[in-house]
Amino acid sequence: MSIAPRPAVHRRWLEPARIGAMSPLGGIVAYGLLGLWAAFVLFPLYWVVVTSLKLPVDVNTGPYFLPWVDFVPNLHAWRGLLVDDAGPTFRAYLNSIIIAFSSTVLCVLIGSMAAYALARIEYRPRLVSILIFVLALVGACVAVGVAGIDWRVATAVALALFVLLARALGRRFPGAVHNGDILFWIISQRILPPVVTIIPIYMMFQSVRLLDTHLALILAYTVVNLPIVVWLMYDFFTKIPIDLEESAQLDGASRFLIFFDIVLPLARPGLAATTLLVLILAWNEYVLALFLSTSRAQTMPILVAAMNAGEKGILWWTMSVVIIIMILPVILMALILQRFIARGVLLGAVKG
Amino acid sequence: MPSGRATSLTINRLNKYFGGNHVVKDLSLTVAPGEFLVLLGPSGCGKTTGLRMIAGLEAADSGEILLGDSDVTHVLPKYRDVAMVFQSYALYPHKTVAENIGFPLKVRGIDRATMERAVREAAAQVHMVDYLDRYPRQLSGGQRQRVALARAIIRRPAVFLMDEPLSNLDAKLRGYMRAELKHMQHALGVTTVYVTHDQVEAMTLAHRVAIMDHGVLQQIGTPREVYESPANLFVAGFMGAPPMNFVRGRIEQGRFVGPGVALPVAGEAGPRDAVLGFRPEDARVVAAGAGLFDATVFAAELTGDVTLVTLTLGEDTVAIKMPKEYEADFDSRVAVDFAPARGFLFDAASGARLPAHLVRAGAA
Ligand SMILES: Nc1ncnc2c1ncn2[C@@H]1O[C@H](COP(=O)(O)OP(=O)(O)OP(=O)(O)O)[C@@H](O)[C@H]1O
Ligand SMILES: [Mg+2]
Repeated sequence: MSIAPRPAVHRRWLEPARIGAMSPLGGIVAYGLLGLWAAFVLFPLYWVVVTSLKLPVDVNTGPYFLPWVDFVPNLHAWRGLLVDDAGPTFRAYLNSIIIAFSSTVLCVLIGSMAAYALARIEYRPRLVSILIFVLALVGACVAVGVAGIDWRVATAVALALFVLLARALGRRFPGAVHNGDILFWIISQRILPPVVTIIPIYMMFQSVRLLDTHLALILAYTVVNLPIVVWLMYDFFTKIPIDLEESAQLDGASRFLIFFDIVLPLARPGLAATTLLVLILAWNEYVLALFLSTSRAQTMPILVAAMNAGEKGILWWTMSVVIIIMILPVILMALILQRFIARGVLLGAVKG
Repeated sequence: MPSGRATSLTINRLNKYFGGNHVVKDLSLTVAPGEFLVLLGPSGCGKTTGLRMIAGLEAADSGEILLGDSDVTHVLPKYRDVAMVFQSYALYPHKTVAENIGFPLKVRGIDRATMERAVREAAAQVHMVDYLDRYPRQLSGGQRQRVALARAIIRRPAVFLMDEPLSNLDAKLRGYMRAELKHMQHALGVTTVYVTHDQVEAMTLAHRVAIMDHGVLQQIGTPREVYESPANLFVAGFMGAPPMNFVRGRIEQGRFVGPGVALPVAGEAGPRDAVLGFRPEDARVVAAGAGLFDATVFAAELTGDVTLVTLTLGEDTVAIKMPKEYEADFDSRVAVDFAPARGFLFDAASGARLPAHLVRAGAA
């Protein structure tokens, strides 16, 4: 029995030329779609670059697409922002860099350690202990806030009560939470958008007089992004063969040495991806910055937003310059980090 | 022979549960200083778990572990002074071979020059000096395994623990590494516990073999002892390739009675259900009526150095190793003959070896 031969044209267009290749028609469709998508994504970027080189007239009489053809490129917007108005721009820029990078470093450091602990150590705190802790905390807050008791006294009493009660009741109510529950609890912090909690956060920083400081934003961003780091890194850590760590343990290494010398280098792809994500989140954050900074600690997103509200209407050319200098560091970091996001670090660790 | 550092290892009634699963049951054994003990058993019988408890990677639910005179049951792994070669090698993929081998010394803060010398020495012992700058991913399986070994021997631990280190190598390399390992252990004189499910490895490497099944220690003794004097049906059926032949039957009135078998027995009158065992290499196929009992030829296979003859006997089949020139017709009637002292009798219910043996017909 033989298979009926198909028309030659069909075969040439619909079937791959060799194993592992795409059929020519499939290739055309796939690359066509990809090209369309790329144009869709890249056009705004192009538009921003072009607009930053336009004079106000060119913008207002536009749309013009091609520099030197449609209009004469001009650096006035760049000059206006980076020379004439250099003070505020550079301050916001510097603020953004300091805040975003510091909080990212802090966040990734703390978050990955927490994730590692969750991935490798079994925790089972008693439910009743957690309940007592929360009650003691609330009690202390009420005592300080309402009854006006000295906070040191209140803390000490609450702590003592917590220890005593937790020990006494812990044996009676053995129900405990596990690592999975803890992880879920950490992630659930991200279910509420930060804006919901913005007023308490504002009041908290107000009471410790940290409003409009770098520290306030660094702390806020670190806390807000921590769940993301824990969640992502937890996954990367559980993928590292535990044999490696056990072997290091038998060789005499401490937990910290194992973490920094064995685990972190192996989690580098995950670390790089997580760092980039958290950096972008911190870099673009708007709501917290809006509330927690007024002038000295203002970041780029606030600057951009402020331009939107000028009485002269939106200065598209200036805005374009701001947007360009704002995305540059992120692109730079992405280029640097993507070298580490390569696969294959675990090759050769364990057989099979 | 054993160096001054060699330590004994004593395990006392060790138990381990995973949930409701009793994985290691009342394991007790002693390993003499400098001894090479092989823990042998089928997959899933608790060998790795036992080893991990000795290493301290798994907490024992009850029982105690002693290194020399000191109780280490509750001591952290890093203070136990044991080195382990993992079933998976567990090399650090981001470190070179030299860094891998030197890691135990680096952890101890040993100075660079001493460390480099020690690394070269350890690497030389496993013939890996030429590969010191490579990464594990650039090595073959056998080379990785040797790196793992070198990392274990670079410091002289109290005890070596090895978990099937040769299981993924090809037959030739395995044979070579077996000899290498045996020589190295002898030269270093370090007490060693070696886990495997390969009985050839166990026979060739061990001073003594401990055979486990379902978490229970079945027998411990020299390779010769466990082979020639198995304590029960499991050990008898586990050792040897092919393993011991079994014929099911009964002991009644001083005789073992099976399908076509009736042989006088001394030391046990019965009646009880019993199993007669004999090794393929201890028996011969002879003309019908001229042996201990008759059987039917099922197949004859030339395996190279011997011809393996399979016979049927009621519902049981038995295998017998014959010289490679031997030929037999299918379904022909033949007889099986072996020295009565080479037959073993086991209790069918418990599997335990019976204190009874066959005797020549007429001698009873
Ligand atoms: N971490 C664990 N949790 C639950 N059960 C486990 C765990 N580790 C092992 N077991 C069970 O314990 C039993 C013994 O496992 P172990 O790894 O000791 O077997 P083994 O003798 O080393 O087998 P193999 O020759 O296949 O390596 C198995 O039934 C296994 O399913
Ligand atoms: Mg195992």
